[in-house]
Formats: sequence, C-alpha cells, structure tokens
Amino acid sequence: MDLSLLPQAVVSGVLASGLYALVSVGLALAIGVIGIVNFAHGEFFMVGAFLAYQLFVSFGFDPLLSLLFVAPALAVIGALIYLSSIRFVLKAPELNQMLLTFGIGIILQNLALLIWGGDPRTIANVPYRSLGFQVGGVSIGAVPLGSFVISLVLVTGLYWVLAATPLGRAMRAVAQNRIGAGLVGLEVNRVYLVAFALSALLAGLGGVMIGVIQSPTPTVGLGFTLKAFAIVVLAGLGNIRGIVGAALTVALAESLVATLVPNGDALRNMVFFAIIFVVLVWRSRRVA
Amino acid sequence: MKRIIATLVVALFAIAMAQGVTIGVLSPLTGGAAGTGQAQKAGFELALAEINAAGGVLGQPLKIVIEDTKADAATGVAAFEKLMTEDNVEFIAGGYSSGVTLALVESFRTFQPVVSWIGGAVSGVGIDGFDGIEELLGAEPWFFHVHPWDYQNTEASTSFMASTGVKSVALLHEDSAFGGPGAIAAAGLLQNAGMSVPLVEAFKSTLTGGTGDFRATIAKAAASGADALFWIGYDSDVVPLTSQIRELKYDPQYIFGAPPGWPSEFDAAPEAQCVAGLIGYLPNLPNPEAKTFLDSYVAMHGKAPDNYMAALAYAQLWSYADAINAAGSTDQDAVIAALESGTFKSPMGEWSFKPSVIALHQGFGSEMWNVFQFQNGVREIVWPLARATAPLQSCR
Repeated sequence: MDLSLLPQAVVSGVLASGLYALVSVGLALAIGVIGIVNFAHGEFFMVGAFLAYQLFVSFGFDPLLSLLFVAPALAVIGALIYLSSIRFVLKAPELNQMLLTFGIGIILQNLALLIWGGDPRTIANVPYRSLGFQVGGVSIGAVPLGSFVISLVLVTGLYWVLAATPLGRAMRAVAQNRIGAGLVGLEVNRVYLVAFALSALLAGLGGVMIGVIQSPTPTVGLGFTLKAFAIVVLAGLGNIRGIVGAALTVALAESLVATLVPNGDALRNMVFFAIIFVVLVWRSRRVA
Repeated sequence: MKRIIATLVVALFAIAMAQGVTIGVLSPLTGGAAGTGQAQKAGFELALAEINAAGGVLGQPLKIVIEDTKADAATGVAAFEKLMTEDNVEFIAGGYSSGVTLALVESFRTFQPVVSWIGGAVSGVGIDGFDGIEELLGAEPWFFHVHPWDYQNTEASTSFMASTGVKSVALLHEDSAFGGPGAIAAAGLLQNAGMSVPLVEAFKSTLTGGTGDFRATIAKAAASGADALFWIGYDSDVVPLTSQIRELKYDPQYIFGAPPGWPSEFDAAPEAQCVAGLIGYLPNLPNPEAKTFLDSYVAMHGKAPDNYMAALAYAQLWSYADAINAAGSTDQDAVIAALESGTFKSPMGEWSFKPSVIALHQGFGSEMWNVFQFQNGVREIVWPLARATAPLQSCR
C-alpha cells in the first residue's frame, strides 16, 4: 500500500463523482417520476457518444460544442421512444416494463452496430483529453475537471428545476401520486413525456463526455449503466436528491480501493456491489 | 435390385454434392467484441467471394453460415449446437474469446466435427490449477488452432522488449481469462530475459464493465519507476489508457500494448504518438500477399482492415477450401489429413498446421507477430527488424 498516492486517489475520486452523478440522475428521474426502470438508459449514453463522434467526423465539431446539438437530439429521441412504446406499458406489470426497455436497448445497440459498426471509434482530435495540471504533487486532468464542473452545473440545474419551477413541482406531484396529480388537473402523460425526454437528454450529455474519455462502441454504456444503477439504489430508488452523495461515496470508495489495494482497479465493480449490499441490508434491518 | 440401389446411392451422392459444402462459422457479431467479429465476417466474405470465383469447393459454390456468439459463453454453445443440429454442418470455422472456447469444449467433444478455430489463445500451458484450451483440445485430431497461443504472443512481446534494451517493465493487464494468464507468462519471460518487473497490476477493462478510469493503475506504474510500460487489454481500453498516461505526466521510454485490435481513427489522435503495439497483419508488411489482400479487401469493403482478425479469417477459410479440394471429398479423415499436410496462403505469407507444446495442429506461431509504432499518424513496423519500415522511437 503506497500512501503517497492517497491525495491523488481522493482527487480522482471526487472528480469522477461528477460524471457518475450525471449518468445516474437521469435514471433516477425516470424511476422517481415515471416509475419505470429503464434498462435502455446505457444505450442513451451510447447514442450521445456516437452523435458526438459523428458531429466530429462530419463537421469537425469539438465535443464541447456538440453538447449543444446532442442534448436536444437525445431529448427528441427520448420523447419518441416514450410516445411510441413506454406510455403503453405504464400500467403493465413491472416485468413487462423492464422487458420493453431491455428490448429498446438491444434495438438501439444493433442500430448503432449497423450505422457505425462494431469497431471502437475515436474522436481523434480532442486537444484537452490528455491535458493535466500539477497542483501540489496531485494531477488534475482537464477532462475529469471539466466533466465534474459540467455535471455539477447540470445536476444543480435539475435540482433547481425540480424545486423551484412549475414543471418541477408537477414532476414531484406526479411522482408522489399520479392519480391525485391527475385529479387536480395536471396532465400526467405530458409530465411523464417531459421527464423521460429530460432523462434521455441528461444521459446523452453524459454520453458525450464518455465519448471523449473512451472509444464510442455499441456497448460503451455498459460500465456506466452498472454504476448508475448502483448509485440510484444507494441513493434510494427514485430519490433524486440523494444522487450526489451516493455518487461521491461510490467514486471515492472505488478510487481508494483502486489506488491502495494491489490489483485494486479490478475490484472496482466488487466495491460498488459491496456498498449496495451493505446499504440494502442496513435499510432492511432498519425497516424491520 | 442391386442396380436400382446403386443408382439411388449415386443419385443421392450427386444431390448431396450439388448442394455444395457448407461451413459453420461462430463469431461475435454483436456485443462487446463486435469489432473483432465484424472483422472476421469481412475476412470470410472476401475469402468466400474469391474461393467461389475460383471454382468453389468440389466443383460447387462454397457456403458459410455465420452464427453470432456475442462473445458470450452460453450464446456460443447454443449457436454451435444450432449449426450442428439444424444446419448439419461438418466443418466449423471462426472462433474468438477464450471464455467462449472453454465453454464449447464439451460440445465440441460431443459432436466432434472438424473444428478450425482462430482463438482464444489461452493455452493453460505453464499455469498450475487451470486447464486452458490447448490442454483441453490440443490433442484432439479434429481440432485445428489458427491464432498463436498466449505463450507465443508473450514470447514475441518479450523478444521485442528485450530488443529495446530497457531494464525494467511495468506490466498492466485486464483481469479476465485474456489478460490474466498472459500477464503471468509475460512477467516470467521478461524476468528470464534479464528485465525486472516491479509491477504486475490488474485493471477492469472497458469491455468487461470498467468505466475507463485507469488513473489509479497508471499512478502505480509511474511510482514503480519502470523504464517501459507493457499493457494487455482490449481495443476499447486504448484511448483512455494512452490519454491518462499523458494526463498524469507519466513518461515511460516505451508504451507497448497487446490488444486484439486498435480503435478506428486512433492513428490521428495525438495520444497515439510513440505508442507501440503487437499486431498480426498490417498493410505495409513487405510480403506481396499483404498488398494483394489489402487491395481486394478495399475493393470489397471500401476501407482497409482495422483488425488483423480479418486476415486470420480470410486465411482460415482459404485453408478449408484448399484442404477439402485436396481431399476430393468431405470425408472427415481425408479433410483432416489434407489440413495436416497442406500449405496455405495468407496475407501474412504461407502457413501450415504444425505441432505446438501440446496441440497437434497449430497454425501461426510467434513468427506471425509484428510490432508497430504510431509515428506521426502512420503505423510503422519497428520489429522484427527484417520487416521494419522505420526505427523504433523513444517516447521521452
């Protein structure tokens, strides 16, 4: 165990938590407001990553610029998926809902395979991807720092929308009681539509950042989907406010284990599943 | 009566022959390894077109049935059993992923078709308590393995590392059946070649559920003070690994990787500069077959192959066609004998099946490998020196 790497581990963990929060908050929104566990959420990351790649290849757009185009595109895709499929299973058994979103995910993956092929792609000319600053012996990467700041702004913005706008209040009302919200005149289906589109939009923005860090592939969303589900469970299903704390917990724990334990990087997934296990057992004991 | 039976037998034989030979192919066309599977498919398509343009097999057009394994063990077994029971093929080609191959061992033994298998590469040789593919299938007379075994890969990697003159190597590897055994073998070979290995560290690949944050692992490599970095992982790990090496200001003399393929367009990325890699086929190999293959491939698919698995698949299907034609029938023993005795063409030059440590029939060995280095956006061959197109450059 090399404790000299501890400061770097803490900084890396904190910076990673921003992206983790962003990729999780959209999923939490879908679960919390609409009550649907969206297994295609990772494929929204993937579509966002590929759109950023395509905008770079076709027009030379920097990924930061492509955020402006990918966000509305994903919102439209999310809305179309909601209107064409999700809204028909809202009252169906949860298993049917899960199977539907799982199927949507497979369709999106295979569409990506048809369009972009199976080879990992590269957004080749990102001048800041390898940029790092040394501060007191600790390296701070431009990409993790940038994605942390962007994620923080977006998640804070979402919290503000939920807390202080009529749309946010409508979402919270529908989340608490869809029948009651309908009885007082809220258009529940429209709220669901907006919430699902917003969930896809946030995932797409996360996908652009993933496209910078990694090679876009049809399965690029896998690792982050696992993280997102872990963080959502840790925060409490549908608890959007708990996402930031849960993301920070998971990211810090992973970074510390990866740095301080031999072969620790290979234990990352074990770490977050262990956290989930402990939290779920603790919660169930508290309820009992 | 005898004449009628004889006529019927001849007629049935003629009908069977008129249907032509069908080869069943198992390949990961979708899922995390789809890049490799699609490369194999492209290689098979090119070989199939050429074989049939040259008269086919036994006078009939050759056919292939490709089943998707998704690089998933259970899917791979189901796909193989479908080929055997529904498509009734007698010959199996394709092959990728040590995990899928290990899952297929018992099914292969049950049906015992002729299996020509590109990969996995995990032999099991030299690893106690683990039965690898060469140990489990190598002695079967119907099993032919095309891709070099893991120890042949590490032998080539170690020879390259030794040729650079570095004294110490940090070894990073992904944690599945691909990277783990390879890293153990590589560490031993590097030490036997006189180099120290101050760090052997596993990481979670982006292909197997990782998020591409390798900073902790890279920081350990930097702290180890090793002269060179040698990593074993997948093509989707290339971009995060190489960019984070730069971000953390880690500057080993050489950055050398052994993924199955490299990401498209990575050549143009600034992170690529000076990164070196092990590869089976490159268009700028000096042998004429490499250029011929490239031209035909571009004519059919509109781009150069990104993954050397295309070249291996091409070579594999041609070897089947040549062997069945040489055997003059689809009789299993005759085809096995023809595969054993034949010399086949490939983009990497002529090749044949020879015994390896355990296997009766091993196709390519360590001599297949080349080391290239990204130099100003071009993949220059830097090792072995006989095939080098440019000298190796230090990253410092």
